[in-house]
Amino acid sequence: MTIRTTPYRAATRNRWTFTMTPLRGLLVAIVGVFLALVAYRFVFGVGAPTNLTDRWPWALWTWWKLTGVALAGAGYSTALMVHFLGRDRWHDVERGAFVLSLFGYLMVCSALILDLGQWYNAWHPVVYWGYHSVMFELFWCIGSYTVVQVVEFLYIFEERVPMPRFRPILKRIYVPLLFLGAILPVFHQSALCSLYVLAKGRLDPLWWSLLLPVFAVMTSFYVGPPVIAAENVAAKRIYGRPVHMRILGEMVRISAAVMFVYLVLKMADYYVRGVLPELFSGSALGNIALLELGVGVLLPMCMFMSRSVRMSRSKLVTASALTIFGVVLNRFNIVITGMAASTGAGMYRPHWMEVWFVIGLAAAVCLAYLFVVENFPVYVEKDVIASEAAFAEAEAERKAREAVGSLPARRAVRIETREVRVRQKHSVSTGPPPG
Amino acid sequence: MPVDEDIGSRPGGDAPSNPGRRTFLKGVAIAAGTASIAAASPATRKREDPAVEELAAEHARDSALLINLTQCVGCGKCAQACKVDNGLEWREDQPVKGPDAALASSNWTVVHSEGSVGGDGEPRFVRQQCMHCLEPACVSACFVKALEKTESGAVVYDGNRCVGCRYCQMACPFSVPTFEWEETFGRISKCDFCFERTSLGKPTVCAEVCPRGALTFGRRDEMIAEAHRRIGAMPETYVPHVYGETEVGGTSVLYISDVDFELLGFRTSLPETPLPEYTWQITRLIPPVATGIFATLLALYIRRRRAILDAEDAAMAAEADAEVTS
Repeated sequence: MTIRTTPYRAATRNRWTFTMTPLRGLLVAIVGVFLALVAYRFVFGVGAPTNLTDRWPWALWTWWKLTGVALAGAGYSTALMVHFLGRDRWHDVERGAFVLSLFGYLMVCSALILDLGQWYNAWHPVVYWGYHSVMFELFWCIGSYTVVQVVEFLYIFEERVPMPRFRPILKRIYVPLLFLGAILPVFHQSALCSLYVLAKGRLDPLWWSLLLPVFAVMTSFYVGPPVIAAENVAAKRIYGRPVHMRILGEMVRISAAVMFVYLVLKMADYYVRGVLPELFSGSALGNIALLELGVGVLLPMCMFMSRSVRMSRSKLVTASALTIFGVVLNRFNIVITGMAASTGAGMYRPHWMEVWFVIGLAAAVCLAYLFVVENFPVYVEKDVIASEAAFAEAEAERKAREAVGSLPARRAVRIETREVRVRQKHSVSTGPPPG
Repeated sequence: MPVDEDIGSRPGGDAPSNPGRRTFLKGVAIAAGTASIAAASPATRKREDPAVEELAAEHARDSALLINLTQCVGCGKCAQACKVDNGLEWREDQPVKGPDAALASSNWTVVHSEGSVGGDGEPRFVRQQCMHCLEPACVSACFVKALEKTESGAVVYDGNRCVGCRYCQMACPFSVPTFEWEETFGRISKCDFCFERTSLGKPTVCAEVCPRGALTFGRRDEMIAEAHRRIGAMPETYVPHVYGETEVGGTSVLYISDVDFELLGFRTSLPETPLPEYTWQITRLIPPVATGIFATLLALYIRRRRAILDAEDAAMAAEADAEVTS
């Protein structure tokens, strides 16, 4: 993987860019087919491209929505820690997390519309208040949080496309938006899993619990830093952007703490409801739950607590991947594994189109993310000089690798690096970015 | 087929609006019914939740349908009448009776053959339709109030209001609501307890046509009393349980049977607590929790704002000092 020059800094130029690569071409093709399937779905209804039945009214798409929102929780958990818990230095990773979160939510909202039989009635909860329903809470919180995030994106947008007329308004609503952005996610994160509280007696007790909403918030919170770690490493591979190992190290320690509390609560909940024997019974469901909690929570938690893991990029990414796997599996178990026995209608197998919708939505998120980071100031390091230096170092490292180890070349690179640093020291620093 | 001996003592086929039957049933309810409930109470399950008793009292005067599975021969007349009366489509691929019969958007009720699950070589049949719960999970799940429990006992659906999210399908403990999967704009479809008839006090069309007298329509408290009376009269025949009396808080459709309900495919692991109670324990916490989170965030914000301002002040003071010294 070659490290190209930083297209993400094209954001400072005045040209819109989107570099095409074969992989991106593939993503565009996937999204193209996806759009055709969307048209097909809107003409022929929900039943046409899916294998959903009355026994499986919610399946793959619901799992994807639950998963998408949980992983997009990276946005709110970072915002909470940066703006309210005084982790100012984490500011450098906040915008990336925010953009991921924004597109995650836009994806989930689109998926929700795709899933509705009479989607043109989607505004009805505004008029008919079924407030007893968890879905009502979900509708309002996801809807308004997505709007909040779109407005928050204007702050980044405004830096790229100046809109002096809007600036005073944006300044005035900044603090209220911060509050909304921290409160709303707690509720719809919890609501997404509370939906299944009504499935008492049908959702397997290994996953059903009155604490489902609490578990949902905790999982979405602790999966945030691992998602940011994955994003950071991807950005390093694609753009050569430095990985914020120190910030990530601090963040995953908080993840580990939350994971610990989560495990304790989960075990206490199993114990109180008398489900512990089922967990260790060796049955298929018990083993899947053990896999989820052991490999998806306990193992990465222990890894995050180890200093050597936090210092090593590859180990950190491994632990992060395990955590993400744990959350994805958890949502899958709630929506599909835990419901399978009670449907009594055989196992559900998704239609290929159903699967394509999921892949297509994910591909669209990837493309949107790439476009935004290449055209907007997303990868803004608070200390611009430090980031430039880090970038110069990365460049120097690349040159050193290209020089195939010849000693004079290395020395030349070292000298060049030093020069870059000195130059930057005297260059004018742009102020810390807002937000 | 077990013969219900008390079928003779029952005014078989009588319309429930028939005053004679009403009086008769009232008599049952007061004289024999209450006594038989008391007598049969050791056989009935102990209620975990006192709210269930309250709920039963509250809905005592609702209409209810008592289905005696021992009398059902699987002829499917009820399902046919339902289709005709409600204008539902006839479909070859969606049979209303037999082993493959299943609820569907055009099948509001079906008679499912269970085979000889009784161990006596005789086939058994189970009629399925909406249970019309006293505290319906679907109603509480609907976020646009497209579903409603009416005073007459029916759970009715307003398709124009529905968004088509299918949460009611997920919520229903009996997997009753069906979705129009083949429609471009799919809606929910389910038995409406012949709302236009039952709201006038008339029985459902299925109860009227049943040639075997397996369906009895009347007030819920009377139907429960009647069910217990029959069980009490023939304890060796019937399973000592009225399915729907306490399941998920109670339903307006009640079953009695001579074979274990579990063998007939009924869900027997359902709690007695009405399902909306579980969700309500969570949703009612939203306002206080939201207030709490807001207050915490506000406190954190104010504290931090002060810290930031202090830091700025300190920086300015340092700058001023530097100027003075230079």
